[in-house]
Amino acid sequence: MAQDEFTGGDERFPATRWSVIVGVRSEDVAERERALDRLCEAYWKPVYKYVRLRWNRSAPDAQDLTQGFFAEMLGRELLNRFDAGKSRLRTYLRLCVDSFVMNEDKAERRQKRGGEIQHLALDFAGAEQEFASGTIDASAIASPESLEAFFEKEWVRSLFGLAVEDLRALCAKRERDSAFQLFEAYDLEGDDKLSYAQLARQHGLAVTDVTNALAWARREFRRIALERLREICGSDSEFQRETRAVFGRSTC
Amino acid sequence: MNKILLGLLLGAVLGAIDGSTAWFTPAVRAQMAGIIVGSTIKGLIAGVAAGIFARTVNSVSLGILFGLAVGFVLAFLVAYMQHGYYLEIVLPGSIVGMIVGYATQKYGVASAAAR
Amino acid sequence: MRQLSDNALARLRNGSALPDLGGTRYSLIEKVARGGMGVVYAVKDEHLQRRVAMKVLEAPGFESDLAERLMREARVLARLEHPGIVPVHDVGTLADGRVFYTMKFVEGQRLDEYIESLTSTPDRLRIFLRICDPVAFAHARGVLHRDLKPGNVMVGPFGEILVVDWGLAKILEEALPTEPMGPDASTLHSRAYCADGMMVSATTGHGSVMGTPGYMSPEQERGEIELLDARSDIFSLGVLLRYLLSDRPPVRSSRRLDHALAAICRKACAPARERRYAAMQELTADVSRYLDGLAVAAHQESIWDRLARFYRRYRFFVLLIAAYLLVRVILLLVIKH
Repeated sequence: MAQDEFTGGDERFPATRWSVIVGVRSEDVAERERALDRLCEAYWKPVYKYVRLRWNRSAPDAQDLTQGFFAEMLGRELLNRFDAGKSRLRTYLRLCVDSFVMNEDKAERRQKRGGEIQHLALDFAGAEQEFASGTIDASAIASPESLEAFFEKEWVRSLFGLAVEDLRALCAKRERDSAFQLFEAYDLEGDDKLSYAQLARQHGLAVTDVTNALAWARREFRRIALERLREICGSDSEFQRETRAVFGRSTC
Repeated sequence: MNKILLGLLLGAVLGAIDGSTAWFTPAVRAQMAGIIVGSTIKGLIAGVAAGIFARTVNSVSLGILFGLAVGFVLAFLVAYMQHGYYLEIVLPGSIVGMIVGYATQKYGVASAAAR
Repeated sequence: MRQLSDNALARLRNGSALPDLGGTRYSLIEKVARGGMGVVYAVKDEHLQRRVAMKVLEAPGFESDLAERLMREARVLARLEHPGIVPVHDVGTLADGRVFYTMKFVEGQRLDEYIESLTSTPDRLRIFLRICDPVAFAHARGVLHRDLKPGNVMVGPFGEILVVDWGLAKILEEALPTEPMGPDASTLHSRAYCADGMMVSATTGHGSVMGTPGYMSPEQERGEIELLDARSDIFSLGVLLRYLLSDRPPVRSSRRLDHALAAICRKACAPARERRYAAMQELTADVSRYLDGLAVAAHQESIWDRLARFYRRYRFFVLLIAAYLLVRVILLLVIKH
């Protein structure tokens, strides 16, 4: 996507810009599946971890419930009932998860569903590893606000994870693997002690090359992450709010 | 009104008032007219001097001190010529000097250029 | 998919939030403050070799009304050339799509911090008059601030007063022509345009509530955008005046507000617009008169108020006269005795 798409200016956010909400309401089956895939891609891991934490389910149960939830979402057209004017999509989905889990418990008809979502490879083992390695104190997360905060953080982690993978693919496509390596070393693995000069020495580059490469990689990362975010927002105002929530918190 | 004129008028008025308080001293009541005239002139001179000082020095505290000094000196001269009543003349006369010194510093216009 | 640690997440968020200054003449120094609409950074203008402040939208990629609002804020500041209003240097769009503008970097204290060093009422009133100056200028140019409060007043290193954060400023209809308007212009009771240039319909008369609670005028709190005029800012200034005269931080003069000052605050902060000062000039004139020891328009004086004011104005003079009379009386008694 060309950089000049983000020059701002007079264009307003087009009302018909594609999003998962637009996609699931399409009459085209392929379009609906694509929308659900995008949604699932962004949300399955936060949903899984949320069920593990909030509902204190075992890994296999949480996996089962996660699969079931997304199947339910498609079958019962949960997204058709979503009103962007009333809440954010992620809050709506989190509450749907709560409702789903409670209903499943009530009905006691929870069954092993297996791989309902066929198009995506859901790495539940990896998600469980992330969950287990995270420093989450379950007793500290009791209030609705802290649960919302936890879900938001995991949702951002998922979103950024997807964006990082997209960036990796883009760098490979444009033969800029070195830029991705620098981005990975500095922004993903680095700490405050790592300097551009050290990176330059490690990679046998000039400092200006490191600076330029990192600037390019970050710019592309932001663009990709915003694209991903835009797809999973229900409206322009929700996109603005979510962008502020995701990108507006710098601690420098 | 410029500072010199203010000092002149105020000094004259206060001097006249100061002089008229001599009525409370029966021994000098017969010389009231002379006392009032003399006191008025004393106040007038102190006022003009304070006014001239205020045009060149812009300081309330220095103006008060200057007025006090001028009032004291003039009052002392008058008391000396009277060969008595030093306390009754010098003390109030010094305060009158302080009043015109303060007034010329705080009020009145310094000069036509300043206006 | 790669697992992102909390550290990586924080670094990515931080890095994404920072403005992408590539291709501009600026280099980032540090983040300074965060406002309702954007973030302010200290940046270096590499061409002019000076530090400036850059206000940027909070996040990249907007093509929406927020970008337009930031541009409007820059344009409002650009038309207000006054020593008490921060000058705008530059506007543009960053490589990441965020709209920005640069302005003078103000080093100084916020008003609430500065007044801790001011312990006398007259000093605080003089500060207040200096705050009124740029606001009156803006009104004459047909601009309302709409968010006047201590946090939006800066005091520079040389004691200069700057009214900042014009992000909620509103341009009044009649002031669109380029000619500056005279002092009476601040009595405009005109229809006002909202941020997007659309006139608020008379039937609804309502818009979103923007401003700071406690400092907003009642009509602003109710979202009655079409009713906002100079008197709305005067209300905010009245509250600000009360804040300046309040006990926290303590003021050396008497704890209870003087009747005249209380009357000025009451008039400025009257709930009904018609009861407030109609224009900035009236408010500043009353405060100036109070400082000069004269009667103020907002307060109907009793004979005792008049005597008290006379005494305050000529206190030292009165004391000297009293000293003279006392000396005379003492001398009289001593002589008689």
